[in-house]
Amino acid sequence: MKRIFIDEKYCIGCRLCEIYCQVKHSKSKKILKAFREGQPDILSRVLVEEIGHDSFAIQCRHCDDAPCVSACISGAMTKNEKTGVVVCDQEKCVGCWSCIMVCPYGVIKRDISSGKAASKCDLCVDEEVPVCVKNCPNEALKIVQFPDEEK
Amino acid sequence: MALELNQSEFTVERDLDKCIACEVCVRQCSNDVHEFDADDKTVLSESSKCVGCHRCEELCPTGAITIKKKAAEFKENSNWQAAHIKNIYKQAESGGVILTGMGSDKPHTVYWDHILFNAAQVTNPSIDPLREPMEIKTFICGKPENLKIEKQNGQFKLKSKMGPYLELLTPILFSAMSYGSISLNACKSLAAAAAEYGTFYNTGEGGMHKDLARYAKNTIVQVASGRFGVDRDYLRNSAAVEIKIGQGAKPGIGGHLPGEKVTEDISGTRMIPQGSDAISPAPHHDIYSIEDLAQLIDALKEATDYEKPVGVKVSAVHNIAPIASGIVRAGADYIAIDGFRGGTGAAPQSIRDNVGIPVELALAAVDTRLRQEGIRHRAAIIVAGSIRSSSDVVKAIALGADAVYIATAALIALGCHLCQKCYTGKCNWGIATQDPYLTKRLNPEIGTRRLHSLLRAWSLEIKEMLGGAGINAIESLRGNREHLRGINLNDRELSILGIKHAGEAW
Amino acid sequence: MNTEIKNIKKDYLIIGNSAAGISAAESIRKNDKKASIAILTMEKYPNYSKPLITYYLAGKLDLDRINFKDRDFYKKNNIELCLEKKAVMLNPQERFVLTGDGSKYFYKKLLIACGAKPAIPPIKVRDENESVSSLDREIGKIRGAFTLTTLEDAVEIKKYINDYSIKSASILGGGLIGLKAAEAFLELGININVIELSEMLLSASFDKTASGIIEDRIKQAGSNIITGQTIEEIIINNGAVLGLKLTNGNKIKCSLLIVAAGVLPDDAIFKDTAIKTDKGIIVNEKMQTSIPDIYAAGDAVKSYDILSGQPKNLAIWPAAVRQGSVAGMNMSGRPAIYKGGFLMNSVEILGVPVISLGLSNAEINASPAEIKVYIVHDALKKIYRKILVRNDRIIGVILLGAIERAGIYYGLIYNSIDISELKDKVAREDFGIIQLPADYRKHLVVGEGIEV
Ligand SMILES: Cc1cc2nc3c(=O)[nH]c(=O)nc-3n(C[C@H](O)[C@H](O)[C@H](O)COP(=O)(O)OP(=O)(O)OC[C@H]3O[C@@H](n4cnc5c(N)ncnc54)[C@H](O)[C@@H]3O)c2cc1C
Ligand code: SF4
Ligand code: SF4
Ligand code: SF4
Repeated sequence: MKRIFIDEKYCIGCRLCEIYCQVKHSKSKKILKAFREGQPDILSRVLVEEIGHDSFAIQCRHCDDAPCVSACISGAMTKNEKTGVVVCDQEKCVGCWSCIMVCPYGVIKRDISSGKAASKCDLCVDEEVPVCVKNCPNEALKIVQFPDEEK
Repeated sequence: MALELNQSEFTVERDLDKCIACEVCVRQCSNDVHEFDADDKTVLSESSKCVGCHRCEELCPTGAITIKKKAAEFKENSNWQAAHIKNIYKQAESGGVILTGMGSDKPHTVYWDHILFNAAQVTNPSIDPLREPMEIKTFICGKPENLKIEKQNGQFKLKSKMGPYLELLTPILFSAMSYGSISLNACKSLAAAAAEYGTFYNTGEGGMHKDLARYAKNTIVQVASGRFGVDRDYLRNSAAVEIKIGQGAKPGIGGHLPGEKVTEDISGTRMIPQGSDAISPAPHHDIYSIEDLAQLIDALKEATDYEKPVGVKVSAVHNIAPIASGIVRAGADYIAIDGFRGGTGAAPQSIRDNVGIPVELALAAVDTRLRQEGIRHRAAIIVAGSIRSSSDVVKAIALGADAVYIATAALIALGCHLCQKCYTGKCNWGIATQDPYLTKRLNPEIGTRRLHSLLRAWSLEIKEMLGGAGINAIESLRGNREHLRGINLNDRELSILGIKHAGEAW
Repeated sequence: MNTEIKNIKKDYLIIGNSAAGISAAESIRKNDKKASIAILTMEKYPNYSKPLITYYLAGKLDLDRINFKDRDFYKKNNIELCLEKKAVMLNPQERFVLTGDGSKYFYKKLLIACGAKPAIPPIKVRDENESVSSLDREIGKIRGAFTLTTLEDAVEIKKYINDYSIKSASILGGGLIGLKAAEAFLELGININVIELSEMLLSASFDKTASGIIEDRIKQAGSNIITGQTIEEIIINNGAVLGLKLTNGNKIKCSLLIVAAGVLPDDAIFKDTAIKTDKGIIVNEKMQTSIPDIYAAGDAVKSYDILSGQPKNLAIWPAAVRQGSVAGMNMSGRPAIYKGGFLMNSVEILGVPVISLGLSNAEINASPAEIKVYIVHDALKKIYRKILVRNDRIIGVILLGAIERAGIYYGLIYNSIDISELKDKVAREDFGIIQLPADYRKHLVVGEGIEV
């Protein structure tokens, strides 16, 4: 099971993680195009918090006993038993924001521009390494493999 | 306020077709060059503040920024060069000494670039280091006059008593850089890389931070004129002790870390009150002669139970050969010679660019002199002051060095772009700064990895060059100047270097 | 109906095919791969999400998308779903449940997850042509008057709207269901009158300001909110709603009436048993009732409110899911505990999202020394944030407009985190994880930040 480890000590607040997350979740997946021609409103699913010189990027922790999954009234938010990834099925989501209400990390956003659905980190399932991790210049985000407790 | 005559050195070029106004550059620049204009939703840059560290250029996700040297600043004049004019403008305003960082960038001869290395052909075979053993292990210590070997129960045993030594897996050490002049993360990277690779780093004159204590086995601790951080534990928590007399970038000059930089952490490490100026006097006030130096060496050996080598670091000055001879006679186990182009965190520009001699000449002179006096074996020689590549290392060893110290090269591996603004404390690469916002930028895990890679790469190249010359152990190269030839050098230079000109056979 | 089936034996029997029942079945199946599991429901739909029925009503979803578990959920988990089987009697001595068709379902372990039923206040009904009104008429039997708690209700309301081209509707009750219905009608372009007995909307979790902002929005959209009033009399004609008479004597025309005056735990089938109830089935933290091997979860129970420290009926979806899963675990032999919960709501009216958590208006009945209130209100940006703090712990929150990151407060309430250092920041829009106490933050962000 892949998880993203956040190292607060070395986040430099550059927000490249946010930028590449936006690109990844844009239509064209090309940085210039994504920012230029199209959707200036694409949401980053990773969120950098910063006060003074303290900063870190946080995205969905893909909780084991995910509060957002039990709160979801539509069944859109599910946890994949195999990969451990918590995903929101944008087609199913009705935008009731129950998940936002209970996610203790506050990492779900309202995606109003493309329909009305909850937007959150999908751990870039189709990439070997999530783009935020890959593009963090200071390795403040790392990917760690967790032993699967179920087995 | 009167008009300031300082012209900007760089131009920040922003390709507006590529700029996505993500503000990465705005957040990365500690010199406030870039600014987001909320009205226009664009990023504006003020070139005059740019120091040319290239941080923004490297981090810009779309490659929209190019930092260029500002062209055609003044009317061409071979005498009144731009540097002179600018310095005068600056000083006419500030009335102060012009400070700078890193080694001299003046176009004096770099002798490494005028020396060529040899290779084996026909009459002796070259060696492939990937298939055959190649030894580059190096020992830093004094060696006995001769080796006595005895036979015990049919086995040969070394009878001579060896003094304490440093064992290096590659003839490269990290040179002295104090915590204070560089960030703790930079120190951690150096220490961890040295430990991982099997070589040594040097605390510099700032004492040892508690987080670095675990690297003691790979630490050379420095004792300088300010005696910062020196106590019994400091000396014993080390692999070797080094007395710092001088530094190549500023021979004869002391150091001054302003009180505002003496943070809680640094005050603890240097053992001085927080906020007080850390002044390294120009001379050691207890050393006015070789005899005084001998006393200090003895004292340090005594304090470390004669278990650790004690070395002396001096800058390369005109009289370096007799000085080195004196140092060896005073009992040093090694002598470190720091050349004219050696790096620094802060030095007056006038000194840095005009005082001292290149390390190549100093090394050749010292090695020759010590051999003539028959005392070369008593101490190892480490050279420093702008070793830029593995070939510089090979040439230095052939000229007579046992090993080299690298500092600037190590910092470049950590990201340094040689903007020479170390003294401002605003290093955008998190190296020469104590600002917590900036020091975070150097993740020691990455730093360690990069330094380790550099050591590995250079070591591989050294082995390649040795193999090419048909040499299978670095010991066989040491002081073997026949492997070197000069190019574009005059007779005087060749004779000081003790090498033939290219084209001359054995 | 098949009257042949008389005695059916199951290892696990679950009454209720919704949030609590299904999540219990799921966790039983996780622990026990072999046992037989059956779910009884009196409804005819396989599984659907109750909170989604108003979305269906609004036309945002069709019947294919209203399920919250995949259609093959029952098959995949080998669970027998018994549709239209209404439990009418429970016999704990002989361990069976009797259904409306006369079948007996015997169980080893039983879960009662039959939810809540709509509360219907006593309202007089008068035929237009008669002068006396009576209390005896069942409101559900009046054409055009509905409750709204099942999919069946929503399907019928929708049909009624289409059949009669309804252009306006009245909603009795400005609580959660009332507002959800209002949201749906406004979406459909149907004008509404919301009639609410208390002085504001969602009086259980809003305050004057939040309620005021929402009321203004609804009024701007051409609809009407009547607070401090209730319906005194429903006027009918030919068995259909015609108008309403309010307590202040005002009369309004009405062709569609939704009675959304809250829900009550449904206790019909266990009334005559020894199961302890008190406006909801009493359960312990393992979700066990007073009778061994009978568990209960969801809207039907009185569980535990961690903020008041009192047993409470927490009639919300997330609580039902959690409780169901805890019950399922314990039933199948894996000890688990429901620590308790608190009330919370997320609604969005005409594009204004509002989230309320916990005791979100408790300051009304408390001294300022006891409960401190931190408010950020920006009318221009349509942002209202209110944080209630008691003994340095957050106990209630209202976020209107900027609701992102609401869950951080949920975590702080649930874990009872000391926020004494953060009081000046806690209501601010930029409040985030980074301001939290280092220990809590570390747990969240670094390393073990993976479990909550
Ligand atoms: C219109 C509406 C909107 C809502 N919106 C929200 C919201 O946005 N967020 C939120 O958190 N909560 C919301 N709720 C509340 C939420 O739906 C409930 O908390 C949740 O459904 C409770 O689940 P439950 O499993 O306990 O019971 P229920 O969902 O009430 O299910 C009860 C089940 O038991 C069955 N049943 C009942 N009696 C019998 C019997 N005698 N025999 C056989 N079967 C029986 C029923 O058929 C049903 O399957 C809303 C409720 C309604 C009505
Ligand atoms: S969205 Fe939040 S609650 Fe859901 S899994 Fe991710 S971190 Fe956990
Ligand atoms: S907003 Fe979407 S994902 Fe979140 S709880 Fe509601 S339906 Fe589920
Ligand atoms: S890319 Fe890395 S360093 Fe930059 S903000 Fe994101 S986590 Fe921090």
